[in-house]
Amino acid sequence: MPSLAPAGDYRSSYREDMTIFLTRNSRIGLLIGIVLVACAPLALGRYELGLLINIGFLGIAALGLNILVGFTGQISIGHAAFFGFGAFMSAWLHERWHIPVVFCIPLAGIATALIGLVFGAPAARLKGLYLAIATLAAQFILEDFFARAQWFTGGVAGRITEPFELFGWRADREESYLYVVLAAVIVMYAFAANLMRTRDGRALVAVRDHYLSAEVMGVNLAYYRTLSFGIASFYAGVGGALYAHYLLFVSVEAFNILFSIQFLGMVIIGGLGSIMGSLMGAAFMVLLPEVVQVGADALAGGAIDRALKLGSSISFLREMAVGLAIILFLIFEPNGIVHRWQLIKAYWKLYPYSH
Amino acid sequence: MTMRKHMLGWAVVAAMALPMAAGAQPIPLGHLMDLSGGTSDVGTPFAQGVNDTFAWVNKTRNGVAGRSVNVLAHDYGYQAPRAVSQYQAWSRDRVVGIMGWGTADTEALVRFVTRDRIPYVSGSYSAALTDAAGKSGRQGVEATPYNFFYGPSYSDALRAMLQWAADDWKAKGKPGRPKYVHMGANHPYPNSPKAAGEALAQELGFDVLSPVTFALTPGDYTAQCLTLKNQGANYAYLGNTAGSNISVLRACQTAGVDVQFLGNVWGMDENAMKAAGTAADGVVFPVRTAAVWGAQAPGMANVQAISRISDAAGTAYRPVHYVAGICSAMLMVEAMETAAANGGQVTGERIRDGFYARKDWIPKGFEGVCVPSTFTANDHRGQLNVTLYRSRVAGDTSQGSVKDLVAAGTIKLEPVTTVALPRKAEWLGW
Repeated sequence: MPSLAPAGDYRSSYREDMTIFLTRNSRIGLLIGIVLVACAPLALGRYELGLLINIGFLGIAALGLNILVGFTGQISIGHAAFFGFGAFMSAWLHERWHIPVVFCIPLAGIATALIGLVFGAPAARLKGLYLAIATLAAQFILEDFFARAQWFTGGVAGRITEPFELFGWRADREESYLYVVLAAVIVMYAFAANLMRTRDGRALVAVRDHYLSAEVMGVNLAYYRTLSFGIASFYAGVGGALYAHYLLFVSVEAFNILFSIQFLGMVIIGGLGSIMGSLMGAAFMVLLPEVVQVGADALAGGAIDRALKLGSSISFLREMAVGLAIILFLIFEPNGIVHRWQLIKAYWKLYPYSH
Repeated sequence: MTMRKHMLGWAVVAAMALPMAAGAQPIPLGHLMDLSGGTSDVGTPFAQGVNDTFAWVNKTRNGVAGRSVNVLAHDYGYQAPRAVSQYQAWSRDRVVGIMGWGTADTEALVRFVTRDRIPYVSGSYSAALTDAAGKSGRQGVEATPYNFFYGPSYSDALRAMLQWAADDWKAKGKPGRPKYVHMGANHPYPNSPKAAGEALAQELGFDVLSPVTFALTPGDYTAQCLTLKNQGANYAYLGNTAGSNISVLRACQTAGVDVQFLGNVWGMDENAMKAAGTAADGVVFPVRTAAVWGAQAPGMANVQAISRISDAAGTAYRPVHYVAGICSAMLMVEAMETAAANGGQVTGERIRDGFYARKDWIPKGFEGVCVPSTFTANDHRGQLNVTLYRSRVAGDTSQGSVKDLVAAGTIKLEPVTTVALPRKAEWLGW
């Protein structure tokens, strides 16, 4: 993988070795990016802001899954259920105990982490396909729980919840809620980036790279595998809570297995084992259907539509495009968008002497 | 070359200026459809009816008060969260009204449309949407001042069928108490009339069996049919839509279950009768139009004109839900016209008042097709007269189209009775 660090390793202190940003420009770039998003309400409409918000909370949940799948080498196909648990938990905490939403969101994250630890317990011993099936059980158990636990979720009819509020500032519009999600994204991503620099983070990576070697070196496998599940669920819970207070309605239908697979898709497309890749994958998954929709609308009623007699089936193009994208990514860019992005950056950095 | 460029430029300018010259901005109206989800079997003809009606209104009546109606149709796949996010996307388009669909999403959107004052004509006839002022005092039932629908509520339709069933039991002179069972998915839509139906069944002297669950999607429901058989059910309510009900009917026919099925208003139509074949014979269900396709009625000419919007040849057979879609859309059209009358603004509040402007309201030009509705500020139970039909399938339906089968008399909708329910205060919102 091409690195943006100068050739040779000139780092002369542990401090330099621990840096998050390899170059000054990448730090400035990130700041500019944050400022740009913060200014987005000035330029974008509510719909586009809604997409940004979606990218935000899905990106947080996808990051959780990436810590589990990309950094620890575990697998989970029940991530949407944890996402849903966070959403219901936050709505329930607010409705039942009248806790302000600003506290509900982290509390929902912690509660989801605890649930994640319970369902992650098999992960201490299982891996690969067996673990996948164990997490599949979490998906179905939680989904059924959502549909039946009237007191907690409002049953199949779902639960309506209140918008985010802080000192009388109500974030009930896209323009305002964007800042809530942006703040959450910054906090959660900074936490993850730092986590990977700690002893625990390195232990997770060691477990992924070779669990036997890691164990020989003194890494407690059971502990770190379960911990990874807890962290992943925490992220899913926070993402879900942010979703709940954005949509203001939580319903069991949203958290099906397809959604879990979609999270896996985000992580794979974005880049396994990459912090920023999670956000890029989420952005891709949110924007792709929009782009396809535009294409489908352009196609509707046109010559191709008539020739192939697409008619109402045109709306299925959207679903098919997502599947196609995943396949193409697996074939042409198995390292994800983030890898492609690094290649582009390296190209311009080294231009014109890229070889 | 420059000449051509000029002409092109002028053409663009002219194209942009034309709508402005007409002096009227189109009226944005949301339309949530289920073309791909769990209820798409009946959602598709209903949505087609709604879309065709607005296209017809734009074409032949020059829209509403000279402004064309811009229908923003969206297929939400019967997923309430998708409907809610689409609703939020529409708020930027400032829709003045919404033609909606399912129970879960309509009930989820109640608070939003009440807050934003957007009249909402749903395909859901859940009784929880009728308590307009929130005066019923029922737990969990909110005020729904902006929710309307064309037809009797699910609960009222079931009440009517239960009354018919009680009479039917007596008429047949069978001994003992009849047994009633509610069947449907664990979903807000089939659940909606469950409590109301079971309560009335108890009152009418039925033994109420514990409900039987089957999913909204087609599948193998032999187990459910054997439950019916073992428990000796006499009357079974099918709470789902046609697609999954067909599976139950066929499985029960195979299992040799002798039950009188009572269908939900969305539970049966001509397409389902063709698909289910003789298994669908005898199902009693409510029809909320005074005439079905092919019948003679003064309003039928307009219905056929609307049908030709999407079927220029005029040969398609339209099931009951298509015609119901027309009547639902026409309520919205006339309420908008009332709002626009005397130079008024077409706003949500004025449209809502438009729904209250008439008594025994039949959209003009649809006499004999649409059934009269009456809405008041406290009570959105538009219809309390429930017309029951029985499906008649005389033979093999696997050959030929629905149109041919109806013409040959293989498939027939046979009127049974009309039950007039009292406007009981304690039934409001339930």
